[in-house]
Parts: sequence; structure tokens; C-alpha cells
Amino acid sequence: MVEKIKTQIEFLVALQDLDIMLKEIEEVKELGFEVNAEGAATLTRARAELVQNIKKQLLTNYERLRGRYKRAIVPVKEDTCLGCFMRVPTSITAQGRTDMEVLNCENCGRILYWLS
Amino acid sequence: MEKPELISYFNEATFIPALQSRSKDAALDELVNCFVSAGLVRNGAIVLEMIKRREDLGSTAINHGIAIPHGRTTAAADVMIAFGYSKRGLTWGAMDGKPVHLIFMVLAPPQEQNNKYLPVLGRLVEVLSHPAEREKFTQVTTFAEFTNLLKS
Repeated sequence: MVEKIKTQIEFLVALQDLDIMLKEIEEVKELGFEVNAEGAATLTRARAELVQNIKKQLLTNYERLRGRYKRAIVPVKEDTCLGCFMRVPTSITAQGRTDMEVLNCENCGRILYWLS
Repeated sequence: MEKPELISYFNEATFIPALQSRSKDAALDELVNCFVSAGLVRNGAIVLEMIKRREDLGSTAINHGIAIPHGRTTAAADVMIAFGYSKRGLTWGAMDGKPVHLIFMVLAPPQEQNNKYLPVLGRLVEVLSHPAEREKFTQVTTFAEFTNLLKS
């Protein structure tokens, strides 16, 4: 694991990125990229390692949202949740940009990640 | 996808004709940092984590001195590519054992309206499969020269 990621939202985003990678292994192979013999097992082990850094309650929420929506974590762009396209209160935007807290969309409940 | 269409995914701020890095890890870091410096990515640590996990899955070197580290990340707003050239070459775990000189780092968001990520990756692989094309990319020193190669 890269030692640079430290906060809960960073671990959650890394987890979502890993889950996406797991789903796209075959497409990447088709393009001619090398995937080692263990393939998905390598990433599954990495996933198990990653989730140990995430608080149980947050992980449960992530899994629940992943089951309900395609993506549990969605970007915020121009103060808009790109999951449900509702405006995010500017009062929480400053907090969100620090990557110190895990914040959910008040409308759809998805976890928010500020792109800029 | 036509070759000139690739130009729109590059950016002068993410064009590094002379990488300073002397190792694969340092080069990945340098390229991710150029996305951050360019204001295209806010949190480089998250992107670096994804890129390194992808390398764990299998080297992104595609032989002949080329590597295309890539992946989807929640931290990227659009499909974007950084270019780096290492004159001395970097050990990248390529199947042919050759050092990597040309690096194209491709980032994409989890979902895109136009689904361009995989076609962009595929086109890059195809363009770089031609020896004459590869050679030209090692000679460029400016972004204008670089984009001219993609126009031809």
C-alpha cells in the first residue's frame, strides 16, 4: 500500500478504485496488457489489506451503498453531487475539500468526493 | 478513434520531455505529481495508490521501451494522459527485459459519458506498436512537436 494515503475518505476512494480495477481485468487483458498469473487474487489480497484501515461502520456503509447504486462514492463538481445531481450545501464544501471527513450527500446518501 | 483525436487528452502541463526520475516508482510519482501541479487532480496520493495497485496486477510495460500505466480513479474528472521520456531508461519489469524510455500515464474517471477510456488505451497501444512512431516520440522536445506527431 502507498503510505501517502491516510484519511478514511482516501482509503474509501482507494477501495472503490480497486473494486473497479477488479471488474475491468478482462478488458485490460484484451488490450494486450500483461496480467500476472494470480490476476484477481493479487487485487483481492490487496483489498483485504486495504479494508483493515477502514472503520467498520464506514465500510458497512460503503458496501450498502455499492449494493444499492453502481458506485458508493461519487464526485462533487461545481457544488453538485454527480450521483443525484442535487446541489451540495456550500457549508460542507470547505470540509469536503480537506479529505479529513467522510461526508454523504444529503439527498441520495452516496459518499462524496470533491474533484477540485 | 483516429490518431489525431488522441491530442485532446494530452496537456502541455503534463508533458515531461526529460523525466528526472531514476526508478519506476519515482517516475510514477513524478507523472502523478504533474497532474496535481496542472490542477487536473486534487489528491495525488489516491491516484498513486491506484496506479501502483495496477502495477501489482502486472507490469504496464508493453515492450520496446514503452510503458502505459493506467487506471480508473474516482479522483479523475476526465480521461487524461501524461507523457514522460526518460533518456537513460527505467527498469519496469517488461516482458522483453528492455528498459522503459517512453511513458504514457492514462487516467480516467469511473464512468464517462462517451466511454473513451478503453478506445484511447487501445489506440495508444496501436500507435506505439510501429517502430518508426516510437522512434519519433523519443526525439520530441516540445509539446508542439509532440502534438504534430499525433496529427500526422
